[in-house]
Amino acid sequence: MSTLCPPPSPAVAKTEIALSGESPLLAATFAYWDNILGPRVRHIWAPKTEQVLLSDGEITFLANHTLNGEILRNAESGAIDVKFFVLSEKGVIIVSLIFDGNWNGDRSTYGLSIILPQTELSFYLPLHRVCVDRLTHIIRKGRIWMHKERQENVQKIVLEGSERMEDQGQSIIPMLTGEVIPVMELLSSMKSHSVPEEIDIADTVLNDDDIGDSCHEGFLLNAISSHLQTCGCSVVVGSSAEKVNKIVRTLCLFLTPAERKCSRLCEAESSFKYESGLFVQGLLKDSTGSFVLPFRQVMYAPYPTTHIDVDVNTVKQMPPCHEHIYNQRRYMRSELTAFWRATSEEDMAQDTIIYTDESFTPDLNIFQDVLHRDTLVKAFLDQVFHLKPGLSLRSTFLAQFLLVLHRKALTLIRYIEDDTQKGKKPFKSLRNLKIDLDLTAEGDLNIIMALAEKIKPGLHSFIFGRPFYTSVQERDVLMTF
Amino acid sequence: MISAPDVVAFTKEDEYEEEPYSEPPLPEEYSVPLFPFANQGANPWSKLSGAKFSRDFILISEFSEQVGPQPLLTIPNDTKVFGTFDLNYFSLRIMSVDYQASFVGHPPGSAYPKLNFVEDSKVVLGDSKEGAFAYVHHLTLYDLEARGFVRPFCMAYISADQHKIMQQFQELSAEFSKASECLKSGNRKAFAGELEKKLKDLDYTRTVLHTETEIQKKANDKGFYSSQAIEKANELASVEKSIIEHQDLLKQIRSYPHRKVKGSDSCPGEMAHTQDQADPASTTSILDESADPDIYTCRPAYTPKLIKAKSTKCFDKKLKTLEELCDTEYFTQTLAQLSHIEHMFRGDLCYLLTSQIDRTLLKQQHITNFLFEDFVEVDDKVVEKRESVPSQPSQDRLPSRSLEECPIPKVLISVGSYKSSVESVLIKMDQELGDEEYKEVEVTESSSFDPQENLDYLDMDMKGSISSGESIEVLGTEKSAAVLSKSDSQASLTVPLSPQVVRSKAVSHRTISEDSIEVLSTCPSEALIPDDFKASYPSAINEEESYADNEGAIEFKASISPLELGEAQEGGLENTPPQIDSSCCIGKENHGQLVPLPTPAHTLSDEDGVVSIPPQRYRQKDQGFHVDFAVEDTNPSRDDSCEAFPAYELDPSRLLASRDVSKTSLDNYSDTTSYVSSVASSSSDRTPSSAHPVSLSSERHRKRAGQNALRFIRQYPFAHPAIYSLLSGRTLVVLGEDETIVRKLVTALSIFVPNHGHCAKPVKHWVSSPLHIMDFQKWKLIGLQRVASPGSAGTLHALSRYSRYTSILDLDNKTLRCPLYRGTLVPRLADHRTQIKRGGTYYLHVQSMLTQLCSKAFLYTFCHHLHLPAHDRETEAIVASRQLSFLKLNLGLVNEDIRVVQYLAELLKLHYMQESPGTSNPMLRFDYVPSFLYKI
Repeated sequence: MSTLCPPPSPAVAKTEIALSGESPLLAATFAYWDNILGPRVRHIWAPKTEQVLLSDGEITFLANHTLNGEILRNAESGAIDVKFFVLSEKGVIIVSLIFDGNWNGDRSTYGLSIILPQTELSFYLPLHRVCVDRLTHIIRKGRIWMHKERQENVQKIVLEGSERMEDQGQSIIPMLTGEVIPVMELLSSMKSHSVPEEIDIADTVLNDDDIGDSCHEGFLLNAISSHLQTCGCSVVVGSSAEKVNKIVRTLCLFLTPAERKCSRLCEAESSFKYESGLFVQGLLKDSTGSFVLPFRQVMYAPYPTTHIDVDVNTVKQMPPCHEHIYNQRRYMRSELTAFWRATSEEDMAQDTIIYTDESFTPDLNIFQDVLHRDTLVKAFLDQVFHLKPGLSLRSTFLAQFLLVLHRKALTLIRYIEDDTQKGKKPFKSLRNLKIDLDLTAEGDLNIIMALAEKIKPGLHSFIFGRPFYTSVQERDVLMTF
Repeated sequence: MISAPDVVAFTKEDEYEEEPYSEPPLPEEYSVPLFPFANQGANPWSKLSGAKFSRDFILISEFSEQVGPQPLLTIPNDTKVFGTFDLNYFSLRIMSVDYQASFVGHPPGSAYPKLNFVEDSKVVLGDSKEGAFAYVHHLTLYDLEARGFVRPFCMAYISADQHKIMQQFQELSAEFSKASECLKSGNRKAFAGELEKKLKDLDYTRTVLHTETEIQKKANDKGFYSSQAIEKANELASVEKSIIEHQDLLKQIRSYPHRKVKGSDSCPGEMAHTQDQADPASTTSILDESADPDIYTCRPAYTPKLIKAKSTKCFDKKLKTLEELCDTEYFTQTLAQLSHIEHMFRGDLCYLLTSQIDRTLLKQQHITNFLFEDFVEVDDKVVEKRESVPSQPSQDRLPSRSLEECPIPKVLISVGSYKSSVESVLIKMDQELGDEEYKEVEVTESSSFDPQENLDYLDMDMKGSISSGESIEVLGTEKSAAVLSKSDSQASLTVPLSPQVVRSKAVSHRTISEDSIEVLSTCPSEALIPDDFKASYPSAINEEESYADNEGAIEFKASISPLELGEAQEGGLENTPPQIDSSCCIGKENHGQLVPLPTPAHTLSDEDGVVSIPPQRYRQKDQGFHVDFAVEDTNPSRDDSCEAFPAYELDPSRLLASRDVSKTSLDNYSDTTSYVSSVASSSSDRTPSSAHPVSLSSERHRKRAGQNALRFIRQYPFAHPAIYSLLSGRTLVVLGEDETIVRKLVTALSIFVPNHGHCAKPVKHWVSSPLHIMDFQKWKLIGLQRVASPGSAGTLHALSRYSRYTSILDLDNKTLRCPLYRGTLVPRLADHRTQIKRGGTYYLHVQSMLTQLCSKAFLYTFCHHLHLPAHDRETEAIVASRQLSFLKLNLGLVNEDIRVVQYLAELLKLHYMQESPGTSNPMLRFDYVPSFLYKI
């Protein structure tokens, strides 16, 4: 790192975080734009390490500069913009989330940033979306908190008189800490346990002499089929790390290299926490033989998830993308509304908030059986084991299979694009699409739609529209056209 | 499974949407929209609609020390692209990130100004209100007249899609680094030149000042210095200091490349530099400063001038333009690179992503890529492969070569363990490398052929073309299969019987048909017309005479696009009269067979403008085939009889019954016909136009091909058997009068034609001369001109003789003669009821279906247990039955679909067995399946 930095701003609060493994993150910062002094750093989070790679002065210098030019900020109301810096001169990359908020009576611009060494660029990029999504949501909550706190403090000041405005708003820091630490832990765990970009097929179930050698034929079919139907997003749980990891690697064969780098293997001794936004993750059951998934985080994953238990060979899946996104947004809105309505600090504390409306119980049974059978994966599994293992034949055959899926997905996007004149008209001919593109099996359509969703986000919501209490019903309605 | 404490506020939609009256509702700015496309008209494609610019563009901005951030230029330089988008404002925004402001000037403790070679910074930022997001590449250039000698610039890729920029970040960064390195290289060169000039000026000034001082010294006799003298001395000292400073700067800028190489090996520009050194032939690489010996040296033409010690105020001077800062050559190169970037990342992200995924996956399946993948993609891999094997002599450098250029005919060792019901005959194609072709090859610098080898071939070719009396003969003998299978080696077959005759070779295998036709001989064709030929021939005439019907018209549009114009030009080339008329050659070379003609052939050709079928050829043919014409002439009613009894033709049992009878005779007949056709073909091959490889890589071409294919399957109810013919390796001849229509259809149908190797597709878009048997070996789809002249009837007959090898689609009469198809594969590939609207979409659909097909063929080919006997006593019949069962049960194939997969598997196997994947060994295929006549 460059040492040519100005001296640090005095007295920036810092939280040092002890991590069990190596941390690729150098620091996280929270800065704001002071109308008199310009960009100022409010707080620094840094992993506790013996070797200091970046001094506080350098961190402050970098964090201040993340707000450079933001005096010209021209954003939509409520927008949280992402800035990404690769500063070769300093040898760092910085990801900044810039947002406007009300704090201490002023509307100002803020920046929450994470700083990594430039050498971690290729490690970080596949995880960019995960980090940004998670930080974005904590900012949404923090913004409400700042707003409410200001109102409360103004009332308090009016009543009590003496309290300084500058001291207010500090309590957003613990809230941000509540998400910055998990992000650091996530990056740390990914550093040690992420799935490699290239997977040796020999380490997977597809290297078995015959189907069913490692796991039951029907289970494997269900697992891969559902995994593809949920956009390649799966959680594999089990008691044996080896067994879990074999399935994790097998499922990762069906992902792109970048998606593999956003997947995590299971730790051998103790289990990682579930992390929202990873594609495939292996999780070890505890001594009681169970693993509890956090409902909120599962809901906040960008795609629906397949739950695979390798101990009992069960496969469950969440509803398709458009339903998942709808549920997710409902949940987010209700959570934010709950924050907005909360009257005490206890109510707003991160992770402990339980605000249930007595008239409504959320449906926790979000994982359902795999209902739709496909022919694509079935044919693939029926055929691939005919090829001799140990040679590159199965890898080639797998690549062909994936190529077929991707080409079908692109064809489907083009088909819808043509039919709707790039979204100008509603899409009404699902039945024709299925016949024309040879996707008459419901599972096949789900797989191709899921792939298409990844390369054309919003496709499900666009096709299935707003009234989507059940996707099956919706499809049935569409089928009548 | 789900933890209970996570049950956060979750109310019913209706309830939580209605906020209680007592509390203010959650402001929308703090919430999230319930639907991804909450705005009116929002959809997955509407990202661009919010932006004020129509598509992505590149903006170069500068932080001017005089006027602040300002836009300099955009790529493309078209105001329509950025529309009303405020470039000034956006320049201000992107240039306000001043990470480049590293110290330049006099650092503490340093006597002289130091140049800081600042690394580029990359920033992704956006303006969500404007819907504009940018990848911004910051760089610093040197300018002797600028403050601190630096001029900050940035290049920004501006898009309405933020995800696109983040997902393509590494690619964008790599490409912009190249452009930046190019600019900086040019700037260093220009800066050094500027310093040299300045040093010369300073040196000259010093000399002048020194002289003046000396004069003043001499003039001074008072013993003390005047104020003027002191001023001069100070000025001189200042100039001296300036000289030292500038010398130091020059030293620093000259030392740059070494420092960079030592300091960083990750700079893309330097990587390009290294690559350039490794590959001197590369013309597209970024200009290399080290390659220029003149760099950093003074231009001799420069005349030094006297300069003032104090520089002018910065606001008084005009700053250099970017072009002046970077040297015009480098600047132009940078603009070219930026245009390349703009082109590279243009369009919807989903297509960029899919093409990247496609490339990655295709790299893993080099075994099957040759079948249906585009040449450019395939060729990438070929090049990559070559790069990985540097010792291999450079061959086949052309991205796509015509079929005639690439194969050096080889004798293929057939794989005995793998047989199919479809015959494959490998013929040595000596004639293929004719004079003209050789010349073409010679012109092409990167040709793969060894010149000496070519000369040898040429020598042989000359002989081959002279000895046109040779032909390929396939004799039908019941017992010959076993004999030949034991002597599969073709070495003996390559020995010519006569020094003037290059023998063609053929090997065929049969497993299903009871009689085997395995014997190959090379002997004068006339002697081998069997006696029973005449008996079987009339039925052949019956089948073929319907082609003479010239009624009907095709409905394809006749508009000619630029690409079609290209094709038309190619056609024009093909149709130009041959310089050496074939018939003349024949006349010289085959005196014994020719009937002297009253009119020279070339005159006819010149008059026609198009190579029509010259009557003299048929005169020549008549030597051997007068019987055909006699039969035709004397039986004009055959056509009627054929029309009157369509059931006869369409009754499979009837045809099967007559199948065995016609097998041998037709074989003989067809192959004997090749005698004449070989003459004609070899002559037609002498035309300058060789095969024109249709590059399917062009998106526009794909769309058009897809559109025409779509139209074809909608208009022609017999599209399925036609496509089946192509997929199963049976040559399809598209016959028609109108070249444009034929070419269009051929281009459309070419998407279904499997390749033989890493060469152009075996497609001949337009042939106006009679076909030869070798044409069926080489081409799997041929556009053939129907000539209206009376003599042209012979062409049709010649064609009819090849019914063993070909399917014939008559566009004028809207008929198709080809084997029956009852599979399920082609209907899914080409459903006439399909709602697919656009050609590009249909092309994608075909591509995905063909990939699926390839996958099946791959599985069938490389399934070890299918092709190898399980034990010693297992007979071939059992192996064959196992294969058939696999095709039916495991691959789900029915009826003729099996043949398609078998054919593709055969191509795969042959391709895999070849030593050099660049060469292909075309096969002549024929089978004994009866043909049917389809009509609209």
